[in-house]
Amino acid sequence: MPFSTALPLPAAAAPAMCLLPDPAAIWLHVLSDGAIGLAYLSIPAALLVVLLRRRDLAFPWLLGLFALFILACGSTHLVHAYAAFRPMPWGEALVKAVTAAISVVVAVTLWPVLPRILALRSPAALAREVEERRNAEVRARASEARLAAFINNLAEAVFVLRIGADGSFQIESVNPAFERMLGLDAASVVDRRPEEVLPSALVAQALPRWRQAAAQGRTLDYEIGVELPAGRRSWQTVLVPMRGPDGRVERLLGSARDITATRRLQAGLVQSARLATVGTMCAGLAHEASQPLNTATLWLRRARASAEPLAAAQRTVLLRAVAVVEDQLRRAGDLVARIRGLAGDEPDGGEAFDAAVAVGAALRIAGTQYAADGIDFALHADEQPLGVRGSAGRLEQAVLQLLANARDAVVERRLAEPDAPARIDVFLRREAGRVVVEVRDSGQGIAEAARDAIFDPFFTTKPPGRGVGLGLPFAAGVARGMGGGLEAWNLATGGACFRMELAVCEAAGPAGRLAASPVAA
Amino acid sequence: MGRRILVAEDEALAAMAIEDELLREGYEVQLAPDGEAALEAAREAMPDLLLTDLRMPRLDGVGLIRALREMAPGLPVVVMTGYAPAGGAAAFRRDGEGPVALFPKPLDMDAVLAELRRLLDG
Repeated sequence: MPFSTALPLPAAAAPAMCLLPDPAAIWLHVLSDGAIGLAYLSIPAALLVVLLRRRDLAFPWLLGLFALFILACGSTHLVHAYAAFRPMPWGEALVKAVTAAISVVVAVTLWPVLPRILALRSPAALAREVEERRNAEVRARASEARLAAFINNLAEAVFVLRIGADGSFQIESVNPAFERMLGLDAASVVDRRPEEVLPSALVAQALPRWRQAAAQGRTLDYEIGVELPAGRRSWQTVLVPMRGPDGRVERLLGSARDITATRRLQAGLVQSARLATVGTMCAGLAHEASQPLNTATLWLRRARASAEPLAAAQRTVLLRAVAVVEDQLRRAGDLVARIRGLAGDEPDGGEAFDAAVAVGAALRIAGTQYAADGIDFALHADEQPLGVRGSAGRLEQAVLQLLANARDAVVERRLAEPDAPARIDVFLRREAGRVVVEVRDSGQGIAEAARDAIFDPFFTTKPPGRGVGLGLPFAAGVARGMGGGLEAWNLATGGACFRMELAVCEAAGPAGRLAASPVAA
Repeated sequence: MGRRILVAEDEALAAMAIEDELLREGYEVQLAPDGEAALEAAREAMPDLLLTDLRMPRLDGVGLIRALREMAPGLPVVVMTGYAPAGGAAAFRRDGEGPVALFPKPLDMDAVLAELRRLLDG
C-alpha cells in the first residue's frame, strides 16, 4: 500500500512542505517538530521547579530567561507541526518573530553576565573551601581547649567581671586557682554580684579599683591585703578592661597572684635590716653604758660601807642618798639588760621544746596578772605538739609581751568605749611548715602612723611611765632568733593581730595536750 | 690561808672597788689590767679562781679563759661582762671542764660574792 494512502497527507498548501514531495518525510518533520516542541515545554517546567525550590541560585532571572527562550523555541516547533495540517503563514511568522526577539534578548543579556557567571566558584572549589574551613575550625577548637587548659591550670587566679548598664559588677567566670585561693566554688559565685559572694574585706578594697578600671578603660595594677579565715593574704592583681563593639568597657579581666609569702619575706627582711642596725647600736650602747654603771654601783657599795662609823644623823642622810642613787642605777641597769636582750640570737640553736607549753605558761601568767581587767583570754590550739628550737623562757617572755600589748590596747579602747568587747584570743597552729602564734585582741588597733615603727626599740604610743617601747622589739627579736618573724595588722572586725612565726623543729619533747579553752576571765 | 683570785678588769676604778670587796671577804687578790697581764700573773702562780671581764685590750676574756684552761682545765671562772656572749655561760663550756658563772654589768656584787663562796668553799 502506498504510503500516501495509509496516512492522510497534510495539506499540500503548507508552503514549507511543498518542497517535500515525499509524505513520509513530511510526517517525519511533523512528528519531530511535535516531539521537540513537547520536550521544549517540559524543560522550562523543570527549570521552573528548580527555580521555585532553590531560592539560593545565582542569577535566577537568567534561568527564567532561559526557560522563556526554550518555551518560545518549543512554540515555533509546535506551530510548525500544526501548520503542516492547517497552514497559517502569519501565525507561524509571528510566533517565530517573538521567539527571535526573546532569543536576541537572551543572547545579548548573556554576554555581559558571562564574566560574573565564570567567577562563580565550582562545586569542587566550594568543597575545598568547606574542607579548609572545617580544618580551621578543628584547629581553633584545639587551640581553645589548650587555652582553657592553660587558664584552668594557671597558678594565678583569673576572673571575669561583667559590667552592668548601671555600673554594677557581676562575676562571669573564674578559674580553679580563684576557687582555691578564696576557698569558694565557681558555681556559687558565677552570675552573682561580688558584694554578695566574696569576702567583704576583699570587696571593700577591690571595688574602688574595679570602678576605676571600668571608668578609665585602662589596665590597672593594684595590691590588696585581706584578712581571711585561713589567715592574712596579699594579692597583686592586674585588671584589663575588655571593650564591646561599641567601644564601651563591657568586662574586666582580672588575674591575681598570691604574694603573701613574698610580702612576708620582704617585711621580714626590712625588719631584720632595721633591727640589725638598731641592734648593733643597742648592743654597743648597752656595753658602753654598763661600764660606768658598774663602776658607779661598786663605788656606791664602798660609800655605804664607809658610812658605818658616822654619827646616826649623818649616816641616815648618807644612806638615804646612797639608796636613791642605787635605785636609779638599778633602773639604768635594768634598761641595759633589756636592751641586751633584744639581740635574741640563739647561735647554739637552743633547746627543742613544745611552743604550746611556753605559750600556755605565758597565758596563765597573763590571766592571773590581768584578772582584774575583765578581759576574756582564750587559747585555740592544735592538739599536735608544736616543736620549735630556742629558749622556752624567752618565748614565754615574748608571748607575755604580746599579751601585755594586747591587754593595753583593749583597756585603752574601753576607756573611750565602755561597752567595747574585751577579748584576747591566742591561736596556735602549724601552717605551711611553720609554727604560728597569733594574738588577736579587740582593742583599738594599730594607728596607721605607728604601723611602720611599732617594732622599733624605744617607740611607744603609751603615756610616759607606761613602758619604754622594748616589748614588741623584744618579741620580734625572739621570733627572729627562732628562725621566724613577727608581723602585725589590724583586723576587719576591729582590734589588731600579732602573728609570730617560728621555724619548726621536729625533735621536740612530749607536748602538753592543749585545746581551745578559756584560760582566765 | 685565803684562796687566791685573779681579777682581770681594764676599768681601774671598778677593779679597785672589786678588790676592796674581795679583800674584805678574806680572799687574796691579784689585779691585772688586761688579759695579757693576767696570763703572765697566772704563769707565775696559778690562781684558785679567775674573775674576768670579756672586753679587754691586748688579750680578751675569751682568749684568757682558753689559755688558762689549757694550763689548769678545772679552773673555775666567773665572767663579768657588759656584752653577754651568744649562748651565755655555755659558750665557754667547750674550753674546759671547770665551772663557769656569768654576771652581767652592772654587777650585783652580793650575787657575785655568793657565787665565789660557792665555787671556792663549796
